[in-house]
Amino acid sequence: MLSRPTRMVMIAVLLLAAVLSACVAREDVGDAGGSAVALRLAARSGENEFARATEIRSFQFPEDHGPHFDYQTEWWYYTGNLTSDDGQRFGYQFTIFRRALAPGAPPGGGSLSTNQVYFAHIALTDVAEGEHFFEERFSRGAADLAGAQAAPFEAWVEDWRVEAKGPGAEKVQITAATAEFELSLLLEAEKPIVMHGESGLSAKSDEPGNASYYLSFTRMQAGGTLVVGDKTFSVSGPSWFDHEWSTSVLDEGTVGWDWFGLQLDDGRELMLYYIRQADGSIGPISGGTYIAADGEARSLTSSEIQITAVSTWYSDESGAEYPSGWQISLPSLDMNLTIEPWIDAQEMRVSFTYWEGAVRITGEEGGTALSGSGYVELTGYLESMEGVLS
Amino acid sequence: MVMGVALGVAVIVAIDLANLSASTAFSISRQALTGRTTHQIVGGSTGIDQAIYRDLRIEKGIRTSAPVIESIAVSPDLDDMPLRILGVDPIAEAPFREYLPAQNAGEPGFEAFFLDPRAVIINQLLASRLGIGPGGSINLQVNERLEVLNVIGVIDSGGERSRQGLDDVLLMDVGSAQQLLGMEGRLTRIDLITTDEEAEELQSWLPVNLQILPASDQEETLEQLTDAFELNLQALSLLALVVGMFLVYNTTMFSVIQRRLVFGIMRTLGATPGQIVTLILVEAGLVAALGSLFGIGLGVMLGRGAVSLVSQTINDFYFVLNVRGVDLAGLTVLKGLGGGMLAAVLASLAPAFEAARVAPVMALQRSSVEAQASRWSARAALAGTALIAVGTVILLVIRQSLIASFAGLFLLLIGLAAWVPAAMVFAMHTVRPLLSALAGPTGRMASGMVIRSLSRTGVAVAALMVSLSVAIGVGIMIASFRSTVVDWLGLTLRADVYISAPVVSGTRPTASLSEGLADTIAAVPGVDAVETVRTVTVLSERGEVLLLAVDAQRQRDAELYRFADGSAELVWERVLDGAVIVSEPFAYRFDIPPEGGEITLITDKGRRTFDVVGIYYDYSAEQGTLLMNQDVYRSYWDDESISSLAVFVSGDRELAPVVDDIRSELGGSGLQVQLNRELREEALVIFDRTFLITSALRVLAIVVAFIGVVSALMALQMERAREFATMRALGLTGSDLWKLIFMETGLMGATAGLLSFPTGVVLAVVLIYVINLRSFGWTINMSLDPWIFLSALAAAITAALIAGIYPGLRLLRLPVAESLSRE
Repeated sequence: MLSRPTRMVMIAVLLLAAVLSACVAREDVGDAGGSAVALRLAARSGENEFARATEIRSFQFPEDHGPHFDYQTEWWYYTGNLTSDDGQRFGYQFTIFRRALAPGAPPGGGSLSTNQVYFAHIALTDVAEGEHFFEERFSRGAADLAGAQAAPFEAWVEDWRVEAKGPGAEKVQITAATAEFELSLLLEAEKPIVMHGESGLSAKSDEPGNASYYLSFTRMQAGGTLVVGDKTFSVSGPSWFDHEWSTSVLDEGTVGWDWFGLQLDDGRELMLYYIRQADGSIGPISGGTYIAADGEARSLTSSEIQITAVSTWYSDESGAEYPSGWQISLPSLDMNLTIEPWIDAQEMRVSFTYWEGAVRITGEEGGTALSGSGYVELTGYLESMEGVLS
Repeated sequence: MVMGVALGVAVIVAIDLANLSASTAFSISRQALTGRTTHQIVGGSTGIDQAIYRDLRIEKGIRTSAPVIESIAVSPDLDDMPLRILGVDPIAEAPFREYLPAQNAGEPGFEAFFLDPRAVIINQLLASRLGIGPGGSINLQVNERLEVLNVIGVIDSGGERSRQGLDDVLLMDVGSAQQLLGMEGRLTRIDLITTDEEAEELQSWLPVNLQILPASDQEETLEQLTDAFELNLQALSLLALVVGMFLVYNTTMFSVIQRRLVFGIMRTLGATPGQIVTLILVEAGLVAALGSLFGIGLGVMLGRGAVSLVSQTINDFYFVLNVRGVDLAGLTVLKGLGGGMLAAVLASLAPAFEAARVAPVMALQRSSVEAQASRWSARAALAGTALIAVGTVILLVIRQSLIASFAGLFLLLIGLAAWVPAAMVFAMHTVRPLLSALAGPTGRMASGMVIRSLSRTGVAVAALMVSLSVAIGVGIMIASFRSTVVDWLGLTLRADVYISAPVVSGTRPTASLSEGLADTIAAVPGVDAVETVRTVTVLSERGEVLLLAVDAQRQRDAELYRFADGSAELVWERVLDGAVIVSEPFAYRFDIPPEGGEITLITDKGRRTFDVVGIYYDYSAEQGTLLMNQDVYRSYWDDESISSLAVFVSGDRELAPVVDDIRSELGGSGLQVQLNRELREEALVIFDRTFLITSALRVLAIVVAFIGVVSALMALQMERAREFATMRALGLTGSDLWKLIFMETGLMGATAGLLSFPTGVVLAVVLIYVINLRSFGWTINMSLDPWIFLSALAAAITAALIAGIYPGLRLLRLPVAESLSRE
């Protein structure tokens, strides 16, 4: 079944942009020029030597929480909505990406040589102040500068770090700071791990092998402290964790993706996404996963999902225009949802520009009112992703 | 006059060009390498533990930091040209340096930069010199191994400057560079962009053996090393201009005397003395401008040669520098033009005032100037005495400034030159009886004529004398220096065979060889002892110093010590015990007293102060060296590697077969095995190369004087056409005329030559004991080579005689009647 190709391609783009921006004068790094070059390289990075997600595997934990060096791309992706003691709302993103230049574990030998590049994106949305802070960081996977490991589970880029506070990855501590804010959260899974697609094998196109292994803790209770400027907040709220790895390319003609991670207040979650084609249509490989309150997960096909954007937001900074509010109808669940960003300006202008933001949910299920919060990811609105895929 | 100014200016421009090109190359290279770095963390004999870098980023959160590996290696592909290995982390680099344009980063296979441990990126200039492109390979001698590097990319970006700055750089991934150089887990330095306050705070966080220094410090230290060298060259070039000034004076004076009638008439027509002075100065200025322009052109041509000589010396003695371009800077042109004009105007002042003083009635009296000659020569001698006194005082009193020393030297030289007319009067009176006896009236006439035209002959002879004494002084200095170095090489090179990785010629081997190598060589039959030396740059409280850690098998000769705290045996005992000895330039640079000196070094174990128990002669490194027992070194620094080996062969064995065995033992390693004799010869080749430019300047000074003397004497003789005609009418034969002319010019040449002896010696003394000592801190034993004096005298007389030929021919051909009727 389907998953989030969005990030998959972003990874490739971002990593190569990383290498690129590192080698180019800072002032010369334009998003457009930089990515275009990176993309050419992306298509050529010896994918054939990497393992591919072609068949269902039986996951072993804690091993599978750690890095899979035979696959090219991997990430540990945390997003969540937080509420402070005095009711102030925040959203956060904390992501560690791994990109391999060659398959296999990084060489030892004590030198700084490596075949792994890590990068991280963190962001904070301050709903009350209408602020959105974000930062990106790169590092080579050597000398403990950045890395990931299974036991104990840990993934880090310099001092941005997620580390296990118990066996497996069910309980983790996230620590990260930028000039604008500091994040210190303890996350604890309230549901068992969800395997998206077909037992965790999540197909991305009709072509075999264009798939990823995709695991989630769709509901982790987060609690901790948040420092914004000179103010400290004690916060808590539901978070979402994705762990995904693959060696993959996507179909031609794809422009971008919209992804929804929705957490209803009644304890259920929905993961939905669709691929946008160059001709404006929605790709056939779209869908999602429905997770019941008891943790039972069920895949949703594209025919079960209707998503309509109801308004748009224009980013003055990047010049991209994003949808900014959706009506989602899920007839098979008898569910109608309205999704609205807490604030519009949640654009990530990092190596590759995308929108990743906290949203609120209202709606009804067979006449019963629903509410909740979640995160939405929108890519390919600034420029076509088509070049990536050729 | 045009020639005089032109040559002087040419030399100044050439030297300025060479110095400027060298320092431009230096700053371009540093700029490309340091980029926007503000501070650098350096230290540790074997570099910095990379964990420091990790902690810096993770614990201290210093994000604008970048790990760097930098090293020099030579490539056999480029005639052993030194190349700079620069290992960087492309991911951390962005804020620091600009390398790759977008289109290259996107080339397929760029990930090989990370993955292939032998991958390098080079720039277009280097690629075309190597004749390779992406996919090509470069051979590189790395420590004891010959490595093949794969060129995965060729960059051709940035402006002209950054291109040049990178054209000796092998850009590698930092991890690959670590592996290539055997520096796993270590870094040469960490570059930072930070503030001084933050840097200060970081210093207290760093381990004791590391220091954080402003990036500009490194550059300044390196640049200061060559300052003295460059200043010496500049001073020598100025000397050429001074000689040129004499010529200008001579020519101007000549033209003034020739036009006395004109000036007299101008005065009667109402011209003021001021107007006449202005007229002559403007005239001189115009001619000088022409000469200067000509000189600048000539200087640029000479400069190309000078550039390679200067950069070669810098490479031999200071640091690796690849100077390519010669750019003519506007400042150089101004210097040449200004120098030439100023010199000409200054030199024309006296003649101009002379002309202005002419009373209208006296203008017709040609000899009026000459009548004053005797008084004039006495006055000049008096002024000369004053100049000599001032120069000597400057030399003795202002000890710290090299520029003042050169100023003192110039004053001394000009003062001595001012004595020339007086000396000539004395000399001519002395030789008159002798000449009279030898050649009768012609001889008497010759000496008399020299004195009578003293205003011109005096200056011509002074010019010749100054340039000859420069030739003698510089010649003595070089010869003394060379013989001192030869003696020293004999003392210091005591082993039979020396083994090291190939190094940039003249610099010390600092490659890191494995320790086992010493045992391998010691096991070769016939090898009596192997002395290992670790040459390493370490930090002291006052900057970087070159340290030699010697596993001494033989103690140092007593004669090698300039100062020793006790006998040679005692000094050596104390060195084995933990004290150090330093080279003479080192002591000079760090102001270490002959007795009771100390030096504080930043060791891997923190700051340690070492007693300096001796100062030894050493002419190999201008920045100075510090010698320490290897065991002591290893107890303070975590560094077990060695840089070179000195092998002593048993006295009863023949050398050649042992050397062959050593060579075959090292086969394929690319290490250099040099016999004592070869090393000695190489050292002298470097020495001679170093002084090539000085010698060239010396020759130029003579050429300037030569031309000046020839033209001055020719003019002098031509002017006397009528006089000679009268004499011929009175019965002077052709051969008598030749005799007279040659005797006159020969007398002047001989006087100049003889006078240049003492002046040359004075100059040599100042060069050796003042200038050299203050520039480099080397002791040179002065030795006087008679050949230098004889050749100077021969040159002087030859110049003078040649100067007589053309006038002689002209005068003989002139019909007597016509010459007479001209008046």
